[in-house]
Amino acid sequence: MSNPLPPAPAPRDAAFWARPMTKITVEAVPAGAVNLNVDGHTIVSPLQGFGALWQKTYRVRLPGVTTSAADVMRVWKENFPKFQPPGNHFYPPSTGIDPGRVIFIDSTLPIFPGLPGLIPIAAGVVVIYEDDECFTVMTPDGFPESGWNTFSVTDEAGVPVAQVQSLARAADPVYEFGMYLMGGAEMQEKTWQHVLTALAAYFGVAGQVQMHKVCLDPRWQWREARNLWRNAALRTFFYLPVALARKALRR
Amino acid sequence: MATKMLETALRRHGDVAILDLTGEIDGFADEVLNAAYAAAEQTAPRAILLNFKGVDYINSTGIALIVGLLAQARRAGRKLLTCHLGPHYTEIFQITRLADFMSLYPDEASALAQDS
Repeated sequence: MSNPLPPAPAPRDAAFWARPMTKITVEAVPAGAVNLNVDGHTIVSPLQGFGALWQKTYRVRLPGVTTSAADVMRVWKENFPKFQPPGNHFYPPSTGIDPGRVIFIDSTLPIFPGLPGLIPIAAGVVVIYEDDECFTVMTPDGFPESGWNTFSVTDEAGVPVAQVQSLARAADPVYEFGMYLMGGAEMQEKTWQHVLTALAAYFGVAGQVQMHKVCLDPRWQWREARNLWRNAALRTFFYLPVALARKALRR
Repeated sequence: MATKMLETALRRHGDVAILDLTGEIDGFADEVLNAAYAAAEQTAPRAILLNFKGVDYINSTGIALIVGLLAQARRAGRKLLTCHLGPHYTEIFQITRLADFMSLYPDEASALAQDS
């Protein structure tokens, strides 16, 4: 009698990926975060949004820093909210940035290029991949962009290089309008430049952030225009007065 | 752990270009994968089949590279197929929603038969 073949070993990246999910399930909401536009939503890929598909890469070199790439990434994960610009609040889970977990975001969207953000948005992203030197978050439907951001640190000839790479398109026509006519894209680019500059400053480096952007698909995907119904900014806009009224009535 | 740089080989079966992929698909695979895809496109195939039989590691940067290929294929009106992903990477393609846009086949024969 022949013995059955042993099961094939799992690929070594297996532990780094989130488990499959049809809907996002929020297990715990960090203090200060608003659980809106995340729980029960589905995550969406860069192919499921409405607007042009952009790949934007931001890099900062950390010359003179002898810390390993993995240790730079550990610092980045631990201080992820602190490295954000003012007005951009990130709430990672108390357990850390782990695959399958939600990072809540409380931010604002601009109404005109060059002006600070005014339109509130409460949302979040899901960590779909995490290892010692990188992690990737994916957006839920309703988020301004459909797609993901990958945060990584690599060692290039002994110099740690930190990078943010986004691969995304505006989720619906309103967001596309906001991205390219109201300053949303500019604000987003400033955000990641700020984050990398703050990370470099943590290590005592006056970082020069390099940005490279390429449009992978300039077309609008009109069949995705219906995503407008899940628009997180519109939902937040209508939710906030209701939440404030409820709070006032409870007093 | 030493990484296994991605290697590719291009074959043709009828009007389908087949790219055999061997090694790891991560950020270091960028140039190799894009050059191989460009070479496949130059043969003006109706579809391009990515054969993952020799792939034993894909991280999220690697998945982003595949999204880039998919965007190019969709823009050119060309089908992008996959085979030999195995259960783990099939799951990853489902998590990342790539499976919504690509046909995943268990092996090369079924990919070519279904797509003929």
